[in-house]
Amino acid sequence: MLRELLVRDLKLRYKRSYLGIAWTLVNPLAQVVVYSFVFRVLFRVNTPNYTANLFVGITCWAWFQASVLESTVSILSNRDLIRQPGFPAVLLPNVTVGSQLIHFILTLPVLVGLILVSKIPITAAVLWLPFVIAVQYVLTLAFSLLAATVHVNFRDTQYLLGVFLMLGFFLTPILYDMQIVPPQFRAFYHLNPMTYVVDAYRAVLIRGAMPPILALTAVATASGLLLYLCYQLFRRTSANFAEAF
Amino acid sequence: MSGTIRVEGVSKRFRHWEPNQPMTLQELVLRGWRRRRRDFFWALMDVSFKVAPGRMVGIMGFNGAGKSTLLRLVAGVGRPTNGQVHISGRLGAILELGVGFNPELTGRENIYISGVCSGLTRREVAKRFDSIVAFSELEAFLDYPLRTYSTGMHVRLAFAVASHIEPEVLLIDEVLAVGDLAFQKKCMDRMMSFKHDGCTGLLVTHAPQAVLTMCDDAIWLDRGRMVAYGPAQDVVNQYVEAITRKAGLATPIPQTTPAPITAQAGDGDGHVALV
Repeated sequence: MLRELLVRDLKLRYKRSYLGIAWTLVNPLAQVVVYSFVFRVLFRVNTPNYTANLFVGITCWAWFQASVLESTVSILSNRDLIRQPGFPAVLLPNVTVGSQLIHFILTLPVLVGLILVSKIPITAAVLWLPFVIAVQYVLTLAFSLLAATVHVNFRDTQYLLGVFLMLGFFLTPILYDMQIVPPQFRAFYHLNPMTYVVDAYRAVLIRGAMPPILALTAVATASGLLLYLCYQLFRRTSANFAEAF
Repeated sequence: MSGTIRVEGVSKRFRHWEPNQPMTLQELVLRGWRRRRRDFFWALMDVSFKVAPGRMVGIMGFNGAGKSTLLRLVAGVGRPTNGQVHISGRLGAILELGVGFNPELTGRENIYISGVCSGLTRREVAKRFDSIVAFSELEAFLDYPLRTYSTGMHVRLAFAVASHIEPEVLLIDEVLAVGDLAFQKKCMDRMMSFKHDGCTGLLVTHAPQAVLTMCDDAIWLDRGRMVAYGPAQDVVNQYVEAITRKAGLATPIPQTTPAPITAQAGDGDGHVALV
């Protein structure tokens, strides 16, 4: 059923556009080009491999942000499915996160091209990539479930979330590296799970190093726990979803 | 096939949807957490009945009697405030037509999605695909997007999918009032064939004739309470009498022989979701 709904979601998204799935690439690419111009040309940042690092940060953040934002309406816009007896409502946020994951994976070939052009060696560390993706999936799903639950009762969640996600975008080391963050602010950054996720991607893809296993395991555990809590909340609320329309 | 339905002392309380209930976080914050007066109303009060395997029970009542709410609770969509619902057997419900339908996708794609969302596996849908298409009589339109379909075609496709779930327990909410007369007849025949196959069922309807044709027993609900429960003929007689009294005019009591079902305007209980 998950597969069927995923295919439906993807088909709908690209049904009537000429470029089809290629549109997925346009948005992150445009962002990469613009930020790259601003920081490398205008501000003269000379971090090595700035563009590749930026690309990784922007695409994985895009997965997170789009999933959480779209999950808010996933319940309300599927009224008929929610009212279907025995339909597992928890599938809907999963469809959103899964569909965004596919978009993320589709940007990877471009990233690999960029990495090759920048003459960055790809090492065996890249084998850790699925693990990093899995961690981000759990983390993203937890937040998506929470967003979906809250939105059913409070219909302005979406707008509020937009603000928080924008703050998150700038307060996660996406446009910059952890190195340039002054030490007194670092503790704050370490509370943000996406910090570790972005760093893990950069480690395995660009630095060719092992991901920070300990930190990533901690994030995975915390995400798992958060997912469990959010799922419980979602399950309790979902009994009333059918009445909320 | 051995589906049973057991409903024990089921009540459902709804909170009145206050117009000034906070719908947004913004309002909630501005207004604070102070407690508001709560209004409740009971959509169902202490409803109990049992449907033995292979029996069909009709549920009748005026608008707002709680028929659809009862059906939904039996289907497991929402939980009863008090009481319990037990169901054994594969559940198929036609509460809404066109579950999972999307106007941008073609008829073919929609059959698959709707079938899977109604509880079939993809392979089961594939196996029944031809039969579904034949039932809907829409072979020529299969590869056009659903948005190009007329309302009648839409409903036909939806019912074709819904009727191929092959359930052991079937719940039907006033959806027979769809399509042209020929198609309605076909739907009725399909329902009858379910019944002959030993399907257990609940049928919500306004049409006393449908109850007489299809059901063994009937329940009459009024404002959430069971007014009458017994053999279909008795309950229908009481119900029709009540309507006649209420309407203050002499409505002829329908014949007991299965007459062709007449076109009946829906009262809003049978939803056709055009999303």
